[in-house]
Amino acid sequence: MTGEEGRVELRLTVDGAERTASIDPRSLLLDALRDELGAIAPKAGCRTGDCGACTVRVDGAIAKSCLRLAVADDGCEVRTTASMAVGGELTPLQQAFWDTNAFQCGFCLSGMLFAAEDLLERTPSPSETEVREAISGNLCRCTGYDAIVAAVLSCAAPPVRSSRGA
Amino acid sequence: MTTAVPPRLTGSPVRRQDGDVFVTGRAVYTADVRADGAAHVALVRSPHAHARIVAIDAAAARALPGVLAVVTGDEAAEHCEEIPHGLDAGHLGGHHAVVRPLAVGTALYAGEPVAAVVATNAADAALAAAAVEVTWERLPVVLDAEQALLPGAPLLYPDWGDNLIIERDVGPDDFTAAAADAAHVLEGELRTHRGTAAPMETRSYLADWDPAAGKMTVHATTQNPHVLRTVLAATLRLDEEAVHVIAPALGGSFGLKMYGNREDFIVPLLARMLGRPVRWVEERSATLLAGTREQVLRYRVAAAADGRLLALDVHAIADHGAAAPTHGWGMAHVGALATGLGYALPSCHVRYQVVATNKAPWVGTKPFGKDGATLLLERVVDRVAQVVGVHPAEVRRRNFVPPDSFPWLHTSGLELDSGDYATALDLTLKRLDHPAVLAEQRTARAAGRLLGIGLAFELMPESADIPGALVSAFDTSTVRMSPTGRVTVLTGVTSPGTGNETAIAQLVADELGVPMSSVQVVQGDTERCPYGFGNISSRSIITGGNAAVLAARDVAATLRATARAMLQVEPTEEVVLAGNAAALAADPSRVLPLAVVAGAVHTLSYRLALDVEPRLESTRTYRPGNVRQVPDALGRMQTYTTYPYAVHASVLEVDPETGSVTLLRHVVTHDCGTVVNPMFVDGQVTGGVAMGIGAALGEELVFDPDGVPLTTGFKTYLLPRAIDLPTVELEHLCTPAPGTPLGAKGVGESGFSGALAAVVNAVNDALAPHGAALESTPVSPPRILAALQAVGR
Amino acid sequence: MIPARFRHVAPADLGGCVAALAEGGRVLAGGTWVLPEMSRGESAPAQLVDLRRAGLAELTATADGLQMGAMCTYADLLGSGPVAEHAPLLRTMAGGITGGWALRNQATVGGAAMAARPQSDVPAALVACAAVARVAGPRGARDIPAAELFAGAMRPSLAPDEVLAGFRVPSAAGAGSGYVKLKRGGSSWPIATAAAVVRLDAVGLCTEATLVLGGVAAVPVRIDVSALLGRVVVDDDVRAVTAAVADALPEPWGDVLAPASYRAAVAAPVARRALSAAVADAEEERA
Ligand SMILES: Cc1cc2nc3c(=O)[nH]c(=O)nc-3n(C[C@H](O)[C@H](O)[C@H](O)COP(=O)(O)OP(=O)(O)OC[C@H]3O[C@@H](n4cnc5c(N)ncnc54)[C@H](O)[C@@H]3O)c2cc1C
Ligand code: FES
Ligand code: FES
Repeated sequence: MTGEEGRVELRLTVDGAERTASIDPRSLLLDALRDELGAIAPKAGCRTGDCGACTVRVDGAIAKSCLRLAVADDGCEVRTTASMAVGGELTPLQQAFWDTNAFQCGFCLSGMLFAAEDLLERTPSPSETEVREAISGNLCRCTGYDAIVAAVLSCAAPPVRSSRGA
Repeated sequence: MTTAVPPRLTGSPVRRQDGDVFVTGRAVYTADVRADGAAHVALVRSPHAHARIVAIDAAAARALPGVLAVVTGDEAAEHCEEIPHGLDAGHLGGHHAVVRPLAVGTALYAGEPVAAVVATNAADAALAAAAVEVTWERLPVVLDAEQALLPGAPLLYPDWGDNLIIERDVGPDDFTAAAADAAHVLEGELRTHRGTAAPMETRSYLADWDPAAGKMTVHATTQNPHVLRTVLAATLRLDEEAVHVIAPALGGSFGLKMYGNREDFIVPLLARMLGRPVRWVEERSATLLAGTREQVLRYRVAAAADGRLLALDVHAIADHGAAAPTHGWGMAHVGALATGLGYALPSCHVRYQVVATNKAPWVGTKPFGKDGATLLLERVVDRVAQVVGVHPAEVRRRNFVPPDSFPWLHTSGLELDSGDYATALDLTLKRLDHPAVLAEQRTARAAGRLLGIGLAFELMPESADIPGALVSAFDTSTVRMSPTGRVTVLTGVTSPGTGNETAIAQLVADELGVPMSSVQVVQGDTERCPYGFGNISSRSIITGGNAAVLAARDVAATLRATARAMLQVEPTEEVVLAGNAAALAADPSRVLPLAVVAGAVHTLSYRLALDVEPRLESTRTYRPGNVRQVPDALGRMQTYTTYPYAVHASVLEVDPETGSVTLLRHVVTHDCGTVVNPMFVDGQVTGGVAMGIGAALGEELVFDPDGVPLTTGFKTYLLPRAIDLPTVELEHLCTPAPGTPLGAKGVGESGFSGALAAVVNAVNDALAPHGAALESTPVSPPRILAALQAVGR
Repeated sequence: MIPARFRHVAPADLGGCVAALAEGGRVLAGGTWVLPEMSRGESAPAQLVDLRRAGLAELTATADGLQMGAMCTYADLLGSGPVAEHAPLLRTMAGGITGGWALRNQATVGGAAMAARPQSDVPAALVACAAVARVAGPRGARDIPAAELFAGAMRPSLAPDEVLAGFRVPSAAGAGSGYVKLKRGGSSWPIATAAAVVRLDAVGLCTEATLVLGGVAAVPVRIDVSALLGRVVVDDDVRAVTAAVADALPEPWGDVLAPASYRAAVAAPVARRALSAAVADAEEERA
């Protein structure tokens, strides 16, 4: 049994485009994205869920794509960091990561950017500790994290003031 | 009309040139390089730490779906030479070990590759690798360097007669005389544990052999593409020009991806044997095999009553693991050279022994052995401080090489160029608010809390030129300007992801007066870039940067001469290149766009400046002047070119019931001379501190009693995460490197050693009220608690 | 990629899952444990029975507590009002799970229970909550109290052909809870955990007290704290009932991150801190 035999059809929306691919059913979502669909933003750093380099969004929720079976995500909507910037315009978070040197080798970026984006959606004005906690599912070996924390904090909404009359 | 001169780019926090490519996920790393039809490799690894390969039966594996080939060590050996050594211990009085891409005859460590499977996809390759049946005859293992030195210990290389890779002496062995008048002589032993680099990207290769052209193209996670080409060609019996090495974006390295790892050779070898593109992506557990740092350091130190150090004598026993063709063992040598450096130590002698054991070999890892030297000295200074009853900060101050005594010849032969260590200490203590922290500690201690303060001084010799090693302290860059004024820099240095390409672009842009957007830096391609040594020993800016500055100055001279001719002024007239224009210094209204001048060089050469060679390109090599490789009367050489340093302070609290450590503060004052890009320097130091803290507290390669690694992933090899670390508080000091065009010193290894030592010192300071001490690393909770229990707490 | 070949089925209901599992293989819940094992080649089931479409993710308040499907994720626990009210201990526990939100979104309570790892947060917390597991299998459904769910390290007491459907968790509303986890930093799995529940009556007398340790033995260890019952609990009482917890450990667990001797040594302080927190919380509940 070689070649195409045993392959299955996978339908995914990847970064906004509907895609189908004939994949090896043993593929993790990470493998299907990288090897079959050419989506290289997520990286394989550990394949055990520990580093976060493989992070994507699946139907909106951040997920480590090395912990998912591709066939189980058939029909899902997947986003990688490649579609964060809309129309070529970097998001404030991407801009902040660039401006504050929040990466060196960049291998951890998928995880860091998505964890940070997810945090800011839930908690628009996080404390430094909340930022550190939110990115602690991800590893970065280069930066020592401080620049990442600074980048995320620079994107925090100004603290909500009590509205008039309240 | 006047031209506004834009601020100099050099010294400003210019952001990464290609940052948008990274934050949008488009950067291409080796494993991202597309190769249609590439086959995949899986390695069959030894499950035993020491065993003879009796037979390999690949019949079952070959019959599995998708399998294209199974290659054993014996078969591979027929198709290649042994791997050339980067730094051959055999040439320096030690033993030469023959290392081949796949083990032949005997496996010397668990995880050693003994056969390779190639299949159409990675899963089938892995499945088949598990189906390769190896008949093993297990041999006795030795997992401890001291035991390996005992008579009768199991031998890794029976023809050596012992397990000693090399042993050497550094510095004059005159402790007894130098210690004669000492008020105190202390003896001690420090044990450092085995760690590893653990970059986020594992190693990976994609090799493509074109049989018709006889050409090998290799995409590799490598720091040194040119040197890799040299050794790859030698191993594969090819001419160098038949090998093209390309290093795409690198996902971190920290020494791990220096050329010469055996995996460098396996994939190209298989590509040639199979005649098709072959790819391999290392599994994380294999990346975690590479070792570093494990040593026993026995010492005697003599001190005067006031805490001045008089003499230090060290016996270092390095647990190297199996011998390797990489520079790994050199870490013991560099550690010896760096021992005591920066302190005005009249006598310092280190005898080091590099010992083979049944573990995966050392691989050169940031900060290349200097970490052990720093930890040793900083523990010694703290112990001396305790004995003489003077504060550790003061003892350091009394021993520092004073700022007016440079150049300072250290006993190891290294010659310090510049620095102001006491000022760095002062800045650190000031930022810390030392008196306040001491007061807080007194209060905490009164309440039974274990608050510790640790200081550490680190001094990192950088930009090495060890004679005989396949890498040197110089490097080469080409600067080229197009007729439209666009600049390409081709350099022999590479970036492991630190951003040095941007820093080099800053330097060149300043020399030529062009904006950053006009400059493109090309690295990591043996067919485009000048021969160079890549990324090693924190030297990219010093060598590649200085070389680019020299080359840019050549190009600038041509531009200036041409501009003078176009403006019809005397050759003595000064021309300023700035703001993408060339203007007369004396009359800035007489100005030409740089693109016009560059175009004129290419198109109007006969009309303008006949005495100027019409070429906007220069290749220059920067070779630092202060290396001296003619041994002095004591056999010593000066093999390092710059000496950045830092003073760290760590404040932490130990939970007396659990041994858990909470880091409260980490302050560093750092001096790397002229800073080209402060943002990048801060990033390097902060990253180094995090790594050093990780090494101090938790990262440890652990083996079972048979030598099988237990730390095979990030759930057991514990890297620090954001919640584990305090914000690193940075202070800066600048003593430019004298006699260099830029004044910059290396920064790539900074932060680590001082952080490691400061944390270990702080833990010991925390434990001191109980009389407990921990003279071994890591200072992990179980070991801290054991130390407390040992004194009855 | 996962090396070994396998079949993936995702039945639309629990019955379908049980039927599928009758043909062998392994259950796939969030996959955060089972898929890395398979990627590393340590496990090679012929079939994965995926619970994802079987509708086992309900998380609702019942008359006397909570109904919690096996497929509830840590994120579900953290986002649930009924959990905050009836099982605050589980909420605290879920808030301390490592791996970030990406992991919390995906990893399930049922998966953690069935992985039955000694170095895990979930088993001891479930025992402390007096959760009762609902299990479905070819021989019908049965209930297993959490305290009997763990047969040994990595060994749940389910038969290989049974599926964990969910838990009933009696309400702890009005009680105080405390959860303390000791680990070796952000990358570490739990070294020792303690989960405590304490209920005080109107005058402050202790009417209910539970203390369960995790991470320190192959299975969760319940500590006898009945000495607290009927008393106004003060620090010394807490100290007294936790001082000798190490003696209650049949065989302390040891692994590459911490030897058994260390776990035995830290069991008492971890237990004491959790129980103190539960007492303080209970006092607040009463106030
Ligand atoms: C990065 C990372 C961080 C983690 N952090 C923590 C932590 O902080 N604390 C902690 O305790 N654990 C932690 N874990 C361990 C563990 O993965 C999670 O706790 C998780 O909850 C397991 O659930 P799952 O749904 O992913 O299980 P799966 O991987 O899908 O399954 C686990 C096991 O249970 C079986 N199984 C699952 N569901 C059922 C069922 N309903 N019936 C029968 N059998 C079933 C599976 O067959 C498998 O054997 C972590 C794991 C990772 C990867
Ligand atoms: S590769 Fe998925 S978390 Fe590391
Ligand atoms: S930038 Fe290299 S791992 Fe984060």
